[in-house]
Amino acid sequence: MPPVPDAEDQLVQRLRDRDEAAMTLFYDRYSAALYGVIMRIVQKEEEAEDVLQEGMIKIWNSFASYDASKGRLFTWVMNVCRNLAIDRIRSRQYRVGTRTQPLEDSAAVREPASLTFRPEHIGLQEMTKKLSPDQQQVVDMLYFGGYTQSEVAEELDLPLGTVKTRARAAIKVLSKLIR
Amino acid sequence: MDIQQYIESGILEEYALGVLPAANRAEVERLVAAHPELQHELNAIISGLDTYAEAHALTPPPGMRERVLAGWQQAIRAEAPGTTQASATAEPPYVAPQPAAAPAPEPVVRPISSAPEPAIREEAPRRGFGWLMAASVALLLSMAGNYVLYNRWQNTETALFAAQNDQARFAATQQAAEKQLSSQGRELAVLRDVQFQSVTLAGTPAAPSAKARVLYNPATKAVYVDVHSLPAPPAGKQYQLWALDNGQPVDAGVLAASTAAGDSLQQMKNIVSAQAFAMTVENEGGSASPTLATMTVLGKLL
Repeated sequence: MPPVPDAEDQLVQRLRDRDEAAMTLFYDRYSAALYGVIMRIVQKEEEAEDVLQEGMIKIWNSFASYDASKGRLFTWVMNVCRNLAIDRIRSRQYRVGTRTQPLEDSAAVREPASLTFRPEHIGLQEMTKKLSPDQQQVVDMLYFGGYTQSEVAEELDLPLGTVKTRARAAIKVLSKLIR
Repeated sequence: MDIQQYIESGILEEYALGVLPAANRAEVERLVAAHPELQHELNAIISGLDTYAEAHALTPPPGMRERVLAGWQQAIRAEAPGTTQASATAEPPYVAPQPAAAPAPEPVVRPISSAPEPAIREEAPRRGFGWLMAASVALLLSMAGNYVLYNRWQNTETALFAAQNDQARFAATQQAAEKQLSSQGRELAVLRDVQFQSVTLAGTPAAPSAKARVLYNPATKAVYVDVHSLPAPPAGKQYQLWALDNGQPVDAGVLAASTAAGDSLQQMKNIVSAQAFAMTVENEGGSASPTLATMTVLGKLL
Protein backbone atom coordinates (compact mmCIF):
# COMPACT_ATOMS: atom_id res chain seq x y z
CA MET A 1 0.00 0.00 0.00
CA PRO A 2 2.79 2.53 0.54
CA PRO A 3 3.27 3.68 -3.07
CA VAL A 4 7.06 3.51 -3.09
CA PRO A 5 8.74 2.39 0.13
CA ASP A 6 11.98 4.09 -0.85
CA ALA A 7 10.24 7.42 -1.15
CA GLU A 8 8.94 7.14 2.39
CA ASP A 9 12.39 6.20 3.71
CA GLN A 10 13.90 9.15 1.92
CA LEU A 11 11.30 11.49 3.27
CA VAL A 12 11.85 10.20 6.80
CA GLN A 13 15.59 10.71 6.43
CA ARG A 14 15.15 14.26 5.17
CA LEU A 15 12.77 15.12 7.97
CA ARG A 16 15.24 13.71 10.44
CA ASP A 17 17.88 15.95 8.87
CA ARG A 18 15.54 18.90 9.50
CA ASP A 19 15.23 19.58 5.78
CA GLU A 20 12.45 22.15 5.62
CA ALA A 21 11.87 21.61 1.91
CA ALA A 22 10.89 18.04 2.71
CA MET A 23 7.74 19.35 4.37
CA THR A 24 6.47 20.46 0.95
CA LEU A 25 6.90 16.91 -0.26
CA PHE A 26 5.24 15.73 2.88
CA TYR A 27 2.26 17.92 2.15
CA ASP A 28 1.96 16.75 -1.42
CA ARG A 29 2.14 13.18 -0.36
CA TYR A 30 -0.05 13.03 2.71
CA SER A 31 -2.32 16.07 2.77
CA ALA A 32 -5.25 14.41 1.00
CA ALA A 33 -5.35 11.45 3.37
CA LEU A 34 -4.82 13.63 6.45
CA TYR A 35 -7.27 16.29 5.34
CA GLY A 36 -9.90 13.66 4.55
CA VAL A 37 -9.77 12.13 8.00
CA ILE A 38 -9.58 15.51 9.74
CA MET A 39 -12.57 16.76 7.74
CA ARG A 40 -14.47 13.62 8.64
CA ILE A 41 -13.90 14.46 12.31
CA VAL A 42 -14.20 18.26 12.52
CA GLN A 43 -16.60 18.64 9.55
CA LYS A 44 -15.57 22.24 8.88
CA GLU A 45 -13.13 23.22 6.17
CA GLU A 46 -11.57 26.09 8.09
CA GLU A 47 -11.09 24.09 11.20
CA ALA A 48 -9.71 21.16 9.22
CA GLU A 49 -7.11 23.48 7.69
CA ASP A 50 -6.18 24.66 11.16
CA VAL A 51 -5.80 21.16 12.46
CA LEU A 52 -3.73 20.09 9.47
CA GLN A 53 -1.36 22.99 10.01
CA GLU A 54 -1.15 22.30 13.71
CA GLY A 55 -0.50 18.65 12.90
CA MET A 56 2.36 19.53 10.58
CA ILE A 57 3.95 21.71 13.25
CA LYS A 58 3.64 18.92 15.75
CA ILE A 59 5.01 16.35 13.31
CA TRP A 60 8.00 18.57 12.60
CA ASN A 61 8.70 19.39 16.23
CA SER A 62 8.32 15.90 17.58
CA PHE A 63 9.78 14.05 14.66
CA ALA A 64 12.52 12.62 16.88
CA SER A 65 9.86 10.55 18.61
CA TYR A 66 8.87 8.80 15.38
CA ASP A 67 10.31 5.32 15.40
CA ALA A 68 10.33 3.84 11.92
CA SER A 69 10.81 0.35 13.34
CA LYS A 70 7.39 0.59 14.99
CA GLY A 71 5.44 1.44 11.89
CA ARG A 72 4.94 3.42 8.73
CA LEU A 73 5.27 7.17 8.68
CA PHE A 74 1.71 7.27 7.35
CA THR A 75 0.33 5.56 10.44
CA TRP A 76 2.21 7.86 12.76
CA VAL A 77 1.30 11.14 11.09
CA MET A 78 -2.30 10.01 10.67
CA ASN A 79 -2.53 9.34 14.39
CA VAL A 80 -1.00 12.71 15.25
CA CYS A 81 -3.56 14.54 13.11
CA ARG A 82 -6.47 12.33 14.06
CA ASN A 83 -5.80 12.93 17.75
CA LEU A 84 -5.53 16.68 17.26
CA ALA A 85 -8.84 16.66 15.39
CA ILE A 86 -10.53 14.61 18.11
CA ASP A 87 -9.15 16.97 20.78
CA ARG A 88 -10.53 19.82 18.74
CA ILE A 89 -14.11 18.54 18.64
CA ARG A 90 -13.96 17.60 22.29
CA SER A 91 -12.85 21.08 23.32
CA ARG A 92 -15.56 22.44 21.05
CA GLN A 93 -18.15 20.42 22.95
CA TYR A 94 -16.55 21.54 26.16
CA ARG A 95 -16.90 25.16 25.07
CA VAL A 96 -20.57 24.86 24.30
CA GLY A 97 -21.05 23.42 27.74
CA THR A 98 -21.93 19.77 27.28
CA ARG A 99 -19.15 18.85 29.55
CA THR A 100 -21.17 16.31 31.46
CA GLN A 101 -21.38 14.16 28.34
CA PRO A 102 -18.24 15.06 26.49
CA LEU A 103 -18.50 12.26 23.97
CA GLU A 104 -22.23 12.38 23.61
CA ASP A 105 -23.01 13.99 20.30
CA SER A 106 -19.94 14.28 18.26
CA ALA A 107 -21.16 14.82 14.72
CA ALA A 108 -18.26 12.78 13.46
CA VAL A 109 -19.54 9.55 14.85
CA ARG A 110 -23.26 10.22 14.91
CA GLU A 111 -23.61 10.61 11.21
CA PRO A 112 -22.17 8.11 8.79
CA ALA A 113 -20.70 10.99 6.79
CA SER A 114 -22.17 14.40 6.21
CA LEU A 115 -23.65 15.34 2.86
CA THR A 116 -20.91 17.81 2.19
CA PHE A 117 -18.29 15.18 2.75
CA ARG A 118 -17.46 13.61 -0.58
CA PRO A 119 -14.35 11.55 -0.43
CA GLU A 120 -13.05 11.11 -3.91
CA HIS A 121 -11.76 7.68 -3.15
CA ILE A 122 -14.24 5.42 -4.89
CA GLY A 123 -13.22 2.68 -2.52
CA LEU A 124 -15.02 4.14 0.48
CA GLN A 125 -18.52 3.17 -0.52
CA GLU A 126 -17.54 -0.32 -1.51
CA MET A 127 -15.57 -0.58 1.67
CA THR A 128 -18.41 0.46 3.91
CA LYS A 129 -20.74 -1.86 2.04
CA LYS A 130 -18.64 -4.73 3.30
CA LEU A 131 -19.14 -3.59 6.87
CA SER A 132 -22.44 -4.16 8.59
CA PRO A 133 -24.01 -0.95 9.91
CA ASP A 134 -23.24 -2.15 13.45
CA GLN A 135 -19.62 -2.75 12.60
CA GLN A 136 -19.28 0.57 10.87
CA GLN A 137 -20.80 2.41 13.79
CA VAL A 138 -18.30 0.86 16.17
CA VAL A 139 -15.27 1.39 13.98
CA ASP A 140 -16.27 5.01 13.31
CA MET A 141 -16.68 5.72 17.00
CA LEU A 142 -13.29 4.19 17.69
CA TYR A 143 -11.42 5.73 14.79
CA PHE A 144 -13.07 9.11 14.29
CA GLY A 145 -14.55 9.62 17.74
CA GLY A 146 -11.54 8.55 19.76
CA TYR A 147 -13.66 6.37 22.02
CA THR A 148 -12.21 3.42 23.90
CA GLN A 149 -14.04 0.15 23.53
CA SER A 150 -15.56 0.49 27.01
CA GLU A 151 -16.78 3.99 26.15
CA VAL A 152 -18.43 2.63 23.03
CA ALA A 153 -20.05 -0.11 25.10
CA GLU A 154 -21.37 2.43 27.56
CA GLU A 155 -22.48 4.80 24.86
CA LEU A 156 -24.34 2.16 22.86
CA ASP A 157 -25.47 0.29 25.94
CA LEU A 158 -23.92 -2.94 24.74
CA PRO A 159 -21.88 -5.58 26.53
CA LEU A 160 -18.16 -4.82 26.22
CA GLY A 161 -17.62 -8.26 24.66
CA THR A 162 -20.02 -7.44 21.84
CA VAL A 163 -18.19 -4.20 21.10
CA LYS A 164 -14.85 -5.97 21.02
CA THR A 165 -16.20 -8.64 18.69
CA ARG A 166 -17.65 -6.03 16.34
CA ALA A 167 -14.49 -3.96 16.37
CA ARG A 168 -12.33 -6.95 15.64
CA ALA A 169 -14.62 -8.18 12.88
CA ALA A 170 -14.79 -4.72 11.31
CA ILE A 171 -11.05 -4.18 11.35
CA LYS A 172 -10.54 -7.66 9.96
CA VAL A 173 -12.82 -6.83 7.04
CA LEU A 174 -10.88 -3.62 6.44
CA SER A 175 -7.50 -5.29 6.58
CA LYS A 176 -8.61 -7.76 3.91
CA LEU A 177 -9.45 -4.90 1.57
CA ILE A 178 -5.88 -3.80 1.20
CA ARG A 179 -5.21 -3.20 -2.39
CA MET B 1 0.28 -17.18 27.84
CA ASP B 2 -2.84 -17.72 25.74
CA ILE B 3 -2.16 -15.83 22.54
CA GLN B 4 -5.67 -16.23 21.19
CA GLN B 5 -7.19 -14.89 24.38
CA TYR B 6 -4.83 -11.94 24.31
CA ILE B 7 -5.82 -11.20 20.73
CA GLU B 8 -9.50 -11.38 21.61
CA SER B 9 -9.07 -9.08 24.58
CA GLY B 10 -9.08 -6.18 22.12
CA ILE B 11 -5.95 -4.66 23.58
CA LEU B 12 -4.14 -4.71 20.22
CA GLU B 13 -6.96 -2.66 18.70
CA GLU B 14 -6.69 -0.15 21.51
CA TYR B 15 -2.95 -0.02 21.01
CA ALA B 16 -3.35 0.63 17.29
CA LEU B 17 -5.99 3.27 17.94
CA GLY B 18 -3.65 5.02 20.35
CA VAL B 19 -5.96 5.00 23.36
CA LEU B 20 -3.79 2.88 25.66
CA PRO B 21 -1.93 4.45 28.57
CA ALA B 22 1.84 4.51 28.21
CA ALA B 23 2.43 1.68 30.68
CA ASN B 24 0.18 -0.70 28.76
CA ARG B 25 1.73 0.37 25.48
CA ALA B 26 5.14 -0.77 26.60
CA GLU B 27 3.67 -4.09 27.71
CA VAL B 28 2.02 -4.59 24.32
CA GLU B 29 5.24 -3.74 22.53
CA ARG B 30 7.17 -6.22 24.64
CA LEU B 31 4.70 -9.04 23.95
CA VAL B 32 4.42 -8.23 20.28
CA ALA B 33 8.19 -8.36 19.93
CA ALA B 34 8.21 -11.75 21.61
CA HIS B 35 5.31 -13.36 19.72
CA PRO B 36 5.26 -13.26 15.92
CA GLU B 37 1.53 -14.16 15.90
CA LEU B 38 0.82 -11.01 17.84
CA GLN B 39 3.03 -9.00 15.53
CA HIS B 40 1.14 -10.39 12.58
CA GLU B 41 -2.22 -9.63 14.16
CA LEU B 42 -1.19 -6.08 15.09
CA ASN B 43 0.12 -5.40 11.59
CA ALA B 44 -3.20 -6.51 10.14
CA ILE B 45 -5.10 -4.21 12.51
CA ILE B 46 -2.89 -1.24 11.70
CA SER B 47 -3.10 -1.73 7.97
CA GLY B 48 -6.86 -2.20 8.22
CA LEU B 49 -7.19 1.14 9.98
CA ASP B 50 -4.76 2.79 7.57
CA THR B 51 -6.82 1.51 4.67
CA TYR B 52 -9.94 2.93 6.23
CA ALA B 53 -8.19 6.29 6.70
CA GLU B 54 -6.92 6.33 3.13
CA ALA B 55 -10.39 5.60 1.82
CA HIS B 56 -11.44 8.95 3.26
CA ALA B 57 -8.81 10.89 1.32
CA LEU B 58 -10.04 14.27 0.20
CA THR B 59 -8.02 16.72 -1.88
CA PRO B 60 -7.71 19.94 0.13
CA PRO B 61 -9.17 23.05 -1.49
CA PRO B 62 -6.82 25.06 -3.73
CA GLY B 63 -4.79 27.68 -1.91
CA MET B 64 -4.63 25.65 1.25
CA ARG B 65 -1.24 24.24 0.35
CA GLU B 66 0.39 27.67 0.34
CA ARG B 67 -1.42 28.79 3.48
CA VAL B 68 -0.65 25.69 5.48
CA LEU B 69 2.98 25.52 4.44
CA ALA B 70 3.48 29.22 5.11
CA GLY B 71 1.77 28.93 8.49
CA TRP B 72 3.85 25.92 9.36
CA GLN B 73 7.06 27.68 8.42
CA GLN B 74 6.16 30.76 10.39
CA ALA B 75 5.38 28.64 13.43
CA ILE B 76 8.61 26.69 13.36
CA ARG B 77 10.62 29.86 12.76
CA ALA B 78 8.95 31.47 15.73
CA GLU B 79 9.81 28.52 17.91
CA ALA B 80 13.31 28.14 16.51
CA PRO B 81 15.31 30.44 18.84
CA GLY B 82 14.24 28.51 21.92
CA THR B 83 14.34 25.04 20.49
CA THR B 84 17.51 25.05 18.43
CA GLN B 85 19.67 25.51 21.49
CA ALA B 86 17.85 22.79 23.37
CA SER B 87 18.04 20.35 20.52
CA ALA B 88 21.65 21.18 19.79
CA THR B 89 22.62 19.92 23.22
CA ALA B 90 20.18 17.03 23.28
CA GLU B 91 21.10 15.39 19.99
CA PRO B 92 23.15 16.23 16.99
CA PRO B 93 20.89 15.61 13.98
CA TYR B 94 20.76 19.19 12.84
CA VAL B 95 24.22 20.46 12.14
CA ALA B 96 23.61 23.45 9.94
CA PRO B 97 26.57 25.74 9.32
CA GLN B 98 25.07 28.59 11.32
CA PRO B 99 24.69 27.02 14.77
CA ALA B 100 28.14 25.51 14.43
CA ALA B 101 29.83 28.79 13.64
CA ALA B 102 27.73 31.23 15.61
CA PRO B 103 28.10 29.93 19.18
CA ALA B 104 31.86 29.54 18.72
CA PRO B 105 32.91 33.19 18.95
CA GLU B 106 31.21 33.59 22.32
CA PRO B 107 33.28 31.34 24.55
CA VAL B 108 36.45 32.59 22.88
CA VAL B 109 35.51 36.22 23.19
CA ARG B 110 34.85 36.02 26.92
CA PRO B 111 38.50 35.45 27.97
CA ILE B 112 39.53 38.66 26.22
CA SER B 113 38.15 40.84 28.98
CA SER B 114 39.39 38.61 31.79
CA ALA B 115 42.78 37.69 30.34
CA PRO B 116 44.69 41.02 30.36
CA GLU B 117 44.64 41.46 34.15
CA PRO B 118 46.61 38.36 35.12
CA ALA B 119 48.70 38.84 31.99
CA ILE B 120 50.20 42.06 33.31
CA ARG B 121 50.98 40.59 36.70
CA GLU B 122 53.01 37.60 35.56
CA GLU B 123 54.70 36.35 32.42
CA ALA B 124 53.59 39.35 30.48
CA PRO B 125 55.22 38.58 27.09
CA ARG B 126 53.93 35.04 26.71
CA ARG B 127 50.49 35.86 28.00
CA GLY B 128 50.35 38.83 25.68
CA PHE B 129 51.12 36.64 22.73
CA GLY B 130 48.45 34.15 23.80
CA TRP B 131 46.04 36.99 24.18
CA LEU B 132 46.80 38.17 20.67
CA MET B 133 46.29 34.66 19.33
CA ALA B 134 43.00 34.33 21.16
CA ALA B 135 41.89 37.70 19.84
CA SER B 136 42.82 36.83 16.25
CA VAL B 137 41.10 33.48 16.48
CA ALA B 138 38.04 35.15 17.95
CA LEU B 139 38.08 37.74 15.23
CA LEU B 140 38.41 35.11 12.52
CA LEU B 141 35.63 33.01 13.96
CA SER B 142 33.45 36.03 14.38
CA MET B 143 34.13 37.04 10.77
CA ALA B 144 33.29 33.55 9.59
CA GLY B 145 30.17 33.64 11.70
CA ASN B 146 29.23 37.01 10.29
CA TYR B 147 29.78 35.77 6.80
CA VAL B 148 27.49 32.78 7.36
CA LEU B 149 24.85 34.96 8.98
CA TYR B 150 25.13 37.55 6.25
CA ASN B 151 24.64 34.85 3.60
CA ARG B 152 21.63 33.47 5.45
CA TRP B 153 20.20 36.94 5.74
CA GLN B 154 20.72 37.53 2.03
CA ASN B 155 19.01 34.23 1.21
CA THR B 156 16.12 35.07 3.46
CA GLU B 157 15.84 38.48 1.86
CA THR B 158 15.73 36.89 -1.60
CA ALA B 159 13.18 34.32 -0.49
CA LEU B 160 11.06 37.01 1.11
CA PHE B 161 11.20 39.13 -2.00
CA ALA B 162 10.16 36.18 -4.15
CA ALA B 163 7.31 35.38 -1.79
CA GLN B 164 6.14 38.99 -1.82
CA ASN B 165 6.26 38.99 -5.60
CA ASP B 166 4.22 35.82 -5.73
CA GLN B 167 1.71 37.22 -3.33
CA ALA B 168 1.33 40.41 -5.34
CA ARG B 169 0.86 38.37 -8.47
CA PHE B 170 -1.83 36.21 -6.86
CA ALA B 171 -3.56 39.27 -5.48
CA ALA B 172 -3.62 40.92 -8.91
CA THR B 173 -4.92 37.77 -10.57
CA GLN B 174 -7.58 37.39 -7.95
CA GLN B 175 -8.64 41.00 -8.25
CA ALA B 176 -8.95 40.67 -12.00
CA ALA B 177 -10.92 37.47 -11.62
CA GLU B 178 -13.20 39.10 -9.07
CA LYS B 179 -13.82 42.05 -11.30
CA GLN B 180 -14.61 39.82 -14.22
CA LEU B 181 -16.87 37.70 -12.08
CA SER B 182 -18.86 40.67 -10.83
CA SER B 183 -19.28 42.13 -14.32
CA GLN B 184 -20.37 38.73 -15.59
CA GLY B 185 -22.73 38.47 -12.67
CA ARG B 186 -24.32 41.76 -13.69
CA GLU B 187 -24.56 40.65 -17.31
CA LEU B 188 -26.17 37.43 -16.29
CA ALA B 189 -28.70 39.31 -14.18
CA VAL B 190 -29.66 41.40 -17.22
CA LEU B 191 -29.86 38.37 -19.48
CA ARG B 192 -32.06 36.50 -17.01
CA ASP B 193 -34.33 39.42 -16.22
CA VAL B 194 -37.71 38.72 -17.86
CA GLN B 195 -38.46 42.46 -17.97
CA PHE B 196 -35.83 42.94 -20.65
CA GLN B 197 -37.04 42.66 -24.22
CA SER B 198 -34.55 41.39 -26.68
CA VAL B 199 -34.37 43.28 -29.98
CA THR B 200 -32.36 41.66 -32.72
CA LEU B 201 -30.55 44.19 -34.90
CA ALA B 202 -29.89 42.69 -38.33
CA GLY B 203 -27.29 43.94 -40.80
CA THR B 204 -28.33 46.44 -43.45
CA PRO B 205 -27.30 45.95 -47.11
CA ALA B 206 -24.20 48.03 -46.25
CA ALA B 207 -23.06 45.33 -43.79
CA PRO B 208 -25.15 42.17 -44.35
CA SER B 209 -23.22 40.00 -41.90
CA ALA B 210 -23.44 42.49 -39.03
CA LYS B 211 -25.54 41.38 -36.10
CA ALA B 212 -26.25 42.80 -32.67
CA ARG B 213 -28.90 42.75 -30.00
CA VAL B 214 -30.42 45.39 -27.77
CA LEU B 215 -31.86 44.50 -24.39
CA TYR B 216 -34.47 47.03 -23.44
CA ASN B 217 -36.40 47.25 -20.20
CA PRO B 218 -39.45 49.46 -20.84
CA ALA B 219 -40.14 49.64 -17.09
CA THR B 220 -36.74 50.92 -15.94
CA LYS B 221 -35.84 52.39 -19.38
CA ALA B 222 -32.48 50.61 -19.19
CA VAL B 223 -30.78 49.72 -22.47
CA TYR B 224 -27.96 47.24 -22.97
CA VAL B 225 -26.25 46.39 -26.21
CA ASP B 226 -24.79 43.01 -27.02
CA VAL B 227 -22.72 42.75 -30.22
CA HIS B 228 -22.41 39.50 -32.13
CA SER B 229 -20.42 40.82 -35.02
CA LEU B 230 -19.81 44.26 -36.46
CA PRO B 231 -17.27 45.34 -39.07
CA ALA B 232 -14.41 47.19 -37.40
CA PRO B 233 -15.14 50.93 -37.65
CA PRO B 234 -12.71 53.07 -39.71
CA ALA B 235 -10.06 54.98 -37.75
CA GLY B 236 -11.50 57.94 -35.86
CA LYS B 237 -15.03 56.50 -36.06
CA GLN B 238 -17.25 54.85 -33.49
CA TYR B 239 -20.55 53.00 -33.52
CA GLN B 240 -23.47 54.93 -32.10
CA LEU B 241 -26.77 53.43 -30.99
CA TRP B 242 -30.04 55.20 -31.77
CA ALA B 243 -33.51 54.57 -30.50
CA LEU B 244 -36.27 55.32 -32.98
CA ASP B 245 -39.32 56.77 -31.26
CA ASN B 246 -42.20 57.56 -33.62
CA GLY B 247 -39.65 57.79 -36.44
CA GLN B 248 -37.45 60.24 -34.51
CA PRO B 249 -33.86 59.12 -33.77
CA VAL B 250 -32.84 59.51 -30.11
CA ASP B 251 -29.17 59.22 -29.15
CA ALA B 252 -28.56 56.13 -26.95
CA GLY B 253 -24.80 56.61 -26.66
CA VAL B 254 -21.66 55.37 -28.39
CA LEU B 255 -20.24 51.87 -28.16
CA ALA B 256 -16.90 51.28 -26.49
CA ALA B 257 -14.37 49.54 -28.72
CA SER B 258 -14.57 46.41 -26.58
CA THR B 259 -18.37 46.35 -26.87
CA ALA B 260 -18.17 46.72 -30.65
CA ALA B 261 -15.73 43.82 -30.68
CA GLY B 262 -18.30 41.70 -28.85
CA ASP B 263 -16.45 41.35 -25.56
CA SER B 264 -19.26 42.16 -23.17
CA LEU B 265 -22.60 43.84 -22.66
CA GLN B 266 -22.59 47.63 -22.38
CA GLN B 267 -25.21 49.69 -20.66
CA MET B 268 -26.34 52.61 -22.88
CA LYS B 269 -28.30 55.75 -22.13
CA ASN B 270 -31.78 55.21 -20.75
CA ILE B 271 -34.48 55.42 -23.39
CA VAL B 272 -38.00 56.49 -22.45
CA SER B 273 -39.78 54.94 -25.37
CA ALA B 274 -38.75 53.26 -28.60
CA GLN B 275 -40.14 51.10 -31.36
CA ALA B 276 -36.81 50.29 -33.01
CA PHE B 277 -33.05 50.57 -32.53
CA ALA B 278 -30.30 51.17 -35.08
CA MET B 279 -26.57 51.71 -35.18
CA THR B 280 -24.62 54.08 -37.39
CA VAL B 281 -20.93 54.85 -37.75
CA GLU B 282 -20.16 58.36 -36.45
CA ASN B 283 -17.13 60.44 -35.64
CA GLU B 284 -15.55 59.55 -32.32
CA GLY B 285 -17.67 60.85 -29.48
CA GLY B 286 -20.91 60.52 -31.42
CA SER B 287 -23.12 62.87 -33.35
CA ALA B 288 -26.28 64.78 -32.51
CA SER B 289 -28.15 63.21 -35.41
CA PRO B 290 -27.45 59.95 -37.24
CA THR B 291 -25.60 59.72 -40.55
CA LEU B 292 -28.15 57.46 -42.21
CA ALA B 293 -25.79 56.39 -45.01
CA THR B 294 -23.65 54.57 -42.44
CA MET B 295 -26.47 52.65 -40.79
CA THR B 296 -25.08 49.19 -40.08
CA VAL B 297 -27.80 47.35 -38.16
CA LEU B 298 -31.48 47.90 -37.52
CA GLY B 299 -34.19 46.06 -35.59
CA LYS B 300 -37.73 46.62 -34.36
CA LEU B 301 -39.27 45.80 -31.01
CA LEU B 302 -41.76 42.96 -31.26
